[in-house]
Amino acid sequence: MKLKLYADRMSQPVRAVIIFCKKNGIDFEEIRVDIAKRQHLTPEYAEIIPMKQLPAIVDGRFKLFESHAILVYLASSFPGVADHWYPADVFKRSKIHSVLDWHHSNLRRGPTTIVRNTVLAPVLGRPLNPEAAAEGEKFLSASLSKIESVWLKGNGRFLLGGNQPSIADLSLVCDIMQLELLGETERNRLLGPYKEVQQWIENTRNATNPHFDEVHKILMKAKEKLQNPRMKGATNEGGGSDMKRTLHSRI
Amino acid sequence: MKLKVYADRLSQPVRAVIIFCEVNGIDYEEIKVDLANREHLTPEFAEINPMQQLPAIVHGSFKLFESHAILIYLASSFPGVADHWYPADVYKRSKIHSVLDWHHSNLRCGPITIVQNSILAPVFRSPLNPEAVAEGEKILSAALSKTESFWLDDNRPFLLGQNQPSIADLILVCDIMQVKLVGETDWNRLLGPYKKVQQWIENTRNATNPHFDELHKVLKELKEKLQN
Repeated sequence: MKLKLYADRMSQPVRAVIIFCKKNGIDFEEIRVDIAKRQHLTPEYAEIIPMKQLPAIVDGRFKLFESHAILVYLASSFPGVADHWYPADVFKRSKIHSVLDWHHSNLRRGPTTIVRNTVLAPVLGRPLNPEAAAEGEKFLSASLSKIESVWLKGNGRFLLGGNQPSIADLSLVCDIMQLELLGETERNRLLGPYKEVQQWIENTRNATNPHFDEVHKILMKAKEKLQNPRMKGATNEGGGSDMKRTLHSRI
Repeated sequence: MKLKVYADRLSQPVRAVIIFCEVNGIDYEEIKVDLANREHLTPEFAEINPMQQLPAIVHGSFKLFESHAILIYLASSFPGVADHWYPADVYKRSKIHSVLDWHHSNLRCGPITIVQNSILAPVFRSPLNPEAVAEGEKILSAALSKTESFWLDDNRPFLLGQNQPSIADLILVCDIMQVKLVGETDWNRLLGPYKKVQQWIENTRNATNPHFDELHKVLKELKEKLQN
């Protein structure tokens, strides 16, 4: 009864769940559901997960979606998961819930909005939308500011003053990593003012490597393709589909 | 060490937390933080909640905000809270987390968008925005559809096939109730297609009355005030 994980590694919450499983030695079967090809919208997938979302898990007869719920379930159900991921202490645990909830309405909206309206727009068959991207940037900056002033307050290396990562660190950092798709210059412009955030991303990466880098490889490959001048210069009709085809073959 | 709840009953998640406390006999002190007067943006309140949002609680030296986190904390920490609110069973509990997470990006956006761009716009000194209201109605309908076809699938009185309410029922129903502010005609138009949802709202109300009605009085009063 191996855990099944329905996944597309281009999705931030998918990556958080995969990294968590690998780091904690949770045995799972990764089943690819290609978002760019809209496989999550097929009737076949709806048979498994009627809400058609990723990530989703099937553990025996138990099905679950929403990455935070999945991470909490895995931390609570699999032996050998260290307490710091989702502490038994009700005060620490409640604070983690507080971050995860805040994340939905704040940080989560930033990177996704920017990326979907710029570099990933052609891949997703959407028009470029600089105004929406600018809105996303405002969200991102406001959220990063709050992370520095509130969630990273204290002397810990991780959120909430922790010296070990929790599921909240993993979830939020994987979201910020989506900015890699914008290329070094843009990423540095957006993250540059936030030194503590940059350190915390590095701390989370170090605490979960080699899995963090391995799971983010797909994002890095997609970044190279998107930033490749040969691709950028192809503004004729074939250009958009070439990028799409190449990204599909990489994903 | 009495629990302090920083509250404005105009806020849906505030109502959910207060109803929960009342139903479960949790002793608390309600401290009014007036949203319309922007009291949540004061430096004093920032000391309680640096994110400057409601609800927030202070329990001894422990401070917490985000209503889902607060409800989980209360259900886990206060004796006498019946298991159905936040079950110990990891499968049931995980499904509740799933609804609550889904809610953030789906149902929660609908009522807020509608109400803040129409009837509540003057209260918060923002312009009326019919396009935003139309968007909000689309979001609400999509979420109600999913609630009807998926979360309420089992023909049981509450979400996730349960016979008794959980914190998820309370949170989602309190959110939908915000739509009452736009008046009965629009409420009936928006909720009309969703029979299971309407029954479920009634079930949740019955399971938590008289506190549910008491807490929602503020919506009636505000609506009358705004219409006069």
